[in-house]
Amino acid sequence: MQALLSFDRAPPFAGPLRFFLTAPLFGVLAGLLMVVAGPDIMASRWMPATLAATHLITVGFMLQIMVGALIQILPVVTGANLAHPLPVARGVHGGLSAGALLLAWAFLSGTAAGFAAAAVVLGATVAVFLGAAGHALWGVPSTSPTIRGLKLALVGLLVVLALGLVMALGLGNGWPLDLASLADLHAGWGLGAWAGILLVAMAYVVVPMFQLTPAYPAQGSWWLPPAVVALLLVWSGALVFGSGSAVRLVQAGLAVAGMGFAAFTLHLQHQRRRARFDATFRYWQGGLWCAVLALAMLLTAAVRPEATEWRGWSSLFGIVFGVGGFMSLIAGMLYKIVPFLIWLHLQNAGQGRAAAPNVNKVLADGPMQRQMRAHFAATALMAGAVFWPEALVWPAGMAFALANGWLAINLLSAVRLYRRHMVELGPVTGC
Amino acid sequence: MTHPKSNHVVDARYLEPPEPFVLTMEALDTLAPGEKLLLLLFREPHPLYKVLKQNGYAYETELTADGTFEILIWRP
Repeated sequence: MQALLSFDRAPPFAGPLRFFLTAPLFGVLAGLLMVVAGPDIMASRWMPATLAATHLITVGFMLQIMVGALIQILPVVTGANLAHPLPVARGVHGGLSAGALLLAWAFLSGTAAGFAAAAVVLGATVAVFLGAAGHALWGVPSTSPTIRGLKLALVGLLVVLALGLVMALGLGNGWPLDLASLADLHAGWGLGAWAGILLVAMAYVVVPMFQLTPAYPAQGSWWLPPAVVALLLVWSGALVFGSGSAVRLVQAGLAVAGMGFAAFTLHLQHQRRRARFDATFRYWQGGLWCAVLALAMLLTAAVRPEATEWRGWSSLFGIVFGVGGFMSLIAGMLYKIVPFLIWLHLQNAGQGRAAAPNVNKVLADGPMQRQMRAHFAATALMAGAVFWPEALVWPAGMAFALANGWLAINLLSAVRLYRRHMVELGPVTGC
Repeated sequence: MTHPKSNHVVDARYLEPPEPFVLTMEALDTLAPGEKLLLLLFREPHPLYKVLKQNGYAYETELTADGTFEILIWRP
């Protein structure tokens, strides 16, 4: 039976790895853009540099890693196999990287050609990914809350893309769109249905698995993803019918649902069966508290809309939720997934001839913890820069670039170890 | 550990991968004809399902209220 340990269905390591190694570079770019743009970047969410930096993070960093992780994890958590995973990964990785750069350039230059190019590249790339993932999941029954969540997250990504395309083409061609409402809805679907549900669905698996906590109860796990989608559908409908109060009610509902999930996950972390406070645990703890804080802001805005009249509201919400919340949770997950994949592929390549290094030795906890502290320091500086842009925007930008560069260096050190072991193993196939 | 569904139980709920997989495979090796193995896990083990199918095992999965997946495995 030991021979059966070979996980022959795992996609080649080069598939997801390219996404994980490139994503932090977009974080570096976003930090450098803050430095170049200066205090103006905190003046409003509509500043070209602000929109460019936001999309370098959401498309270049977040979408990149989430898509890479899905290509890897789809067979493991759903049993669905992506057809041709390596060509799909190569194409989608190239498209997302080019698309994120084009979109940032389009915001900075404001040219119709820039928006058209970004729309075509990102539209085609995400369509290819959705087609491949949708094809793999077609006919796969939703036997677990995770599978149901993944399917709904993909629907969310489709809506995010559609709204993004409409806005990109509208901006480039001067269409008379209600950009503020559309941008809110785009962000709502992006952070709620795509990133949010994907994270929730993955948390159902990875929190108990990697942090040795109890499970999420079945009933709540089943209803949370569809509830989020239902709320976003109501939000979309309310926009069509011009009902501002319904939009605020939905935002309050989303905030409460998100806070409930984050609070419950913190509660699960308290019950974990591992004494060690490793980087993933800390990253998740910090990320979840940031999410609670940001969602409390959203709830406040829903109850008291005048709060959003403060010019820094959107920037602060975006930094606390996106950088402090999502980026922390994603980095925490990367610090488990990358060493585990390296162990898995070395184990397969060794085929009993050589033992793979212990998964905890692939990437030492010390460098991960130090990088994590740099990330949270950058988050605090960025949040501070909303209040004191003149004093803090440059250190915040530098700190953010540094923290992301450090993440890339840490991941590269693990990949170097992988390559060293592969060389020692001699010629093997499949990785 | 015993369970109403089987006397052979692998409780892998607080174990890190790949331990659940390894323990299940080892337990299956010791299973007598006609006996069933119950695996308790906080996730659905799709890679294990594939290996079970390849080796002629049948399985039945139930998700319980506390989030435990109960996977009953036997050779038909």
